[in-house]
Amino acid sequence: MTLDTFDPATTTVDVIIVGSGAAGGMAAFSLTQAGLRCLILEAGRDYDPQSEVNMMAPESAAPLRGAATPDKPFGYFDATVGGGWEVDGEPYTMREGSDFRWYRPRMLGGRTNHWGRHAPRWGPYDFKPFSRDGLGVDWPIGYDDVAPFYDRVERMIGVNGGRLELENHPDSPANCLMPPPKPRVPEMLLKATCESMGIPVRAAHTAVLTRDMPHDVAPRSACFNATPCTRGCTIGAFFQTTTSFLPIAKATGRLTVVTDAMVSKVVMAGKDRAAGVEYVDRKTGARHKVEARAVVLAAGTLETTRLLLNSGESPAGLANASGELGRNLTDSTGASFRAFVPALADRPRYNEDGIGGQHVYIPFWLYGEQKRGELDFARGYHFEIGGRFGIPPAATLPRVWGAGLKKAVRAASGATIGMTLRGEMIPNKDTFCEIDQGVKDRFGIPVLRFSFRWSQHELNQVAHGQRIAHAVFKRMNATILSPELPPEKLITAGGEIIHELGTARMGADPRSSVVDSYGQAWDVKNLFLMDGAIFASGAHKNPTLTILALALRASERLAARLKSGALA
Amino acid sequence: MTPSRRQTLQWVMAAAALPLARWTSPALAAGPGTPAPFEVVAWPPTLPPPPPAQGYGRDPNLMEPKVTWPLTLSTAQRATVDMLGDMILPADGKSPGAGALGVGGFVDEWISAPYPVQRRDRELLLGGLIWLDAQSRALHQAEFTAITASHRAALLDALTVETPDARLAKPVAFMDGLRYLFVLGYYSLEEGKADMGYIGDQPTPGEYPGPTPEALAHYAGVLRELGLPTD
Ligand SMILES: Cc1cc2nc3c(=O)[nH]c(=O)nc-3n(C[C@H](O)[C@H](O)[C@H](O)COP(=O)(O)OP(=O)(O)OC[C@H]3O[C@@H](n4cnc5c(N)ncnc54)[C@H](O)[C@@H]3O)c2cc1C
Ligand code: SF4
Repeated sequence: MTLDTFDPATTTVDVIIVGSGAAGGMAAFSLTQAGLRCLILEAGRDYDPQSEVNMMAPESAAPLRGAATPDKPFGYFDATVGGGWEVDGEPYTMREGSDFRWYRPRMLGGRTNHWGRHAPRWGPYDFKPFSRDGLGVDWPIGYDDVAPFYDRVERMIGVNGGRLELENHPDSPANCLMPPPKPRVPEMLLKATCESMGIPVRAAHTAVLTRDMPHDVAPRSACFNATPCTRGCTIGAFFQTTTSFLPIAKATGRLTVVTDAMVSKVVMAGKDRAAGVEYVDRKTGARHKVEARAVVLAAGTLETTRLLLNSGESPAGLANASGELGRNLTDSTGASFRAFVPALADRPRYNEDGIGGQHVYIPFWLYGEQKRGELDFARGYHFEIGGRFGIPPAATLPRVWGAGLKKAVRAASGATIGMTLRGEMIPNKDTFCEIDQGVKDRFGIPVLRFSFRWSQHELNQVAHGQRIAHAVFKRMNATILSPELPPEKLITAGGEIIHELGTARMGADPRSSVVDSYGQAWDVKNLFLMDGAIFASGAHKNPTLTILALALRASERLAARLKSGALA
Repeated sequence: MTPSRRQTLQWVMAAAALPLARWTSPALAAGPGTPAPFEVVAWPPTLPPPPPAQGYGRDPNLMEPKVTWPLTLSTAQRATVDMLGDMILPADGKSPGAGALGVGGFVDEWISAPYPVQRRDRELLLGGLIWLDAQSRALHQAEFTAITASHRAALLDALTVETPDARLAKPVAFMDGLRYLFVLGYYSLEEGKADMGYIGDQPTPGEYPGPTPEALAHYAGVLRELGLPTD
């Protein structure tokens, strides 16, 4: 989609959108529908899932059987282009004692091309955490403000799932969700075991179509239950902007997409007005300026914040009168547990592929206990679930050779169950990002430096999760394969769960927040932030559905204001 | 800034939920173990550095997967690996042996790769091949491929005891590494999937059919066995 004929100097658009992932894709979709002319500037290269995704090749066709390497951290066929935990020529740094990882691809569609697709709604407590436990801050909006946008986003992107009927896990109205797939045997066993212990297991909400979604421009087919989704999906069954929002927005004739365009800063037309942005052509190194009536930053939480910190006159960065820019960084907590279940050994074979990923999961269920003060941590966690036929992990195989080894492999295939914890992190003053003035990337743009620390809440939370997971495994008479670890050793590094949020948070008061609830910067009235940077808190629930809902809400407000002349 | 192998593997397992489990070796049991059945020869000192090689980079053409580094096993080493493959995963009524399927080529590809995990495995595997020949010569005055089948089997038995003697720790780690590389290389091939009875990788349009009646009947038995409600 690179426009060779694109001339930044003469282009006139209404809105510049920085980034083409979840947030930028939604902004382009919504704003072009509203009749506005948009320009997406995307740092990554052009990318076409139809011609670049090797959906059906077996792992044995890949080097090293597709194993993860520093070049392809999630395996050879994974759709991540040009990046991973590291991007060539684009470093980041850390303060002494911090451990933080930043996952970045360099491709059209951003991380939606290879995300995990778990798409839960957030609930009423998630938007008002301070009111519940006195920690962090409340959002200026509540669940009821977001609910209508959740309804629409679920229908727009295609989410399958079932009813939850649990505290703080809102159910979708009828007609929002497609039916979920049947559970597999290990998932059924986990459900039976957990429910006997009072732990709920429900159909997961997954952004994968289980019914066709016809469309003139971007028709998408129901999942055909066969291939690893993280490679991307040529039939459009799972949500990625490259097979949905972007082609639909382009078809309006009102969207221009320029790839290999690394935005370096927001350019100002006055103290409280953005003129446009400056970007570097990744291929030639040339710098260009483009102007527009409004600027949307949707480069991903941390890149959006980096852009603001690198813009404006003040050393504190642009739109930072509150001093909150870069602060309140959170990631989800993570920990993994795994067990070998002898009862599942040598079980009858059947096709266990299903839609990629889990069919059921364990939502957080201890809100009552927490309210009564019976837990030693605030906020919740959930478990994502795995267990399918395949090559058994080494730890399930006895140290034998010959006929005995073949027999052991056959028996252990499909007899391992995994429970992966994802939990909420509460913002703390030691966790933030800032500009490292001493280090620049290959475009000459100063890089981010991270400071990261988990608090006792997160450590107690994963310790609790370990006790629960191990109790569930024991109830199945399983052999636990994951070692019993102290929480500091158990918990993942900052950023590793790739749910970075909150570094330009929204609020009701300009003195303590960077943007309002529509992502509009308090200090720059035609500048809008639409990604996870604006979150006032994390939740244990994966963020992308909420990013999409808030980007839709913000885009419609932006379109209304541009049309009414309120931003003129 | 690269996450540890353990974390990456766990992440991939859980989040990407790939059907094929990744390769991890079990921790070696510590402490005094089964006494070594022979005088153990020394582990070879440091190996020559691998020849320079290039990885496939962060943006390879995924439609045409290519190994970008040269294979580095010598003909003799490759013959030993193939022979070991046919011992570790032998032919039987259900499937061919690993050596015959060429899984030794995958082992060569693995230990020749210019990535950190594979470089560590190269040390272990090449060291192990040298050790194995030295041990064979010490016991039977010939290299591993030239001794009798029963002598070879006795050596492999000594390297697959549950609690090895401290002097055998490295050779056993070598054999663990080799065994799991063969499991990974073998069971990701069509023949290996067939051997495991793996059913899948087939586009199945429409609703996911779920477990078969046989699978459900077995599952009902599991619930009874574990004393879980069967409703
Ligand atoms: C492996 C993996 C699994 C995940 N699983 C889940 C899950 O199950 N559920 C869930 O909710 N979330 C999941 N996520 C997170 C999810 O992908 C993100 O929340 C989501 O993509 C964020 O959308 P975004 O638009 O903010 O950023 P992105 O999707 O990352 O898009 C940002 C875009 O901006 C571009 N960009 C960056 N800097 C610049 C610049 N300076 N100039 C121009 N362009 C720029 C980037 O190249 C990128 O294309 C997962 C992520 C990964 C990587
Ligand atoms: S499993 Fe379904 S959603 Fe995933 S890549 Fe295959 S067809 Fe697409």
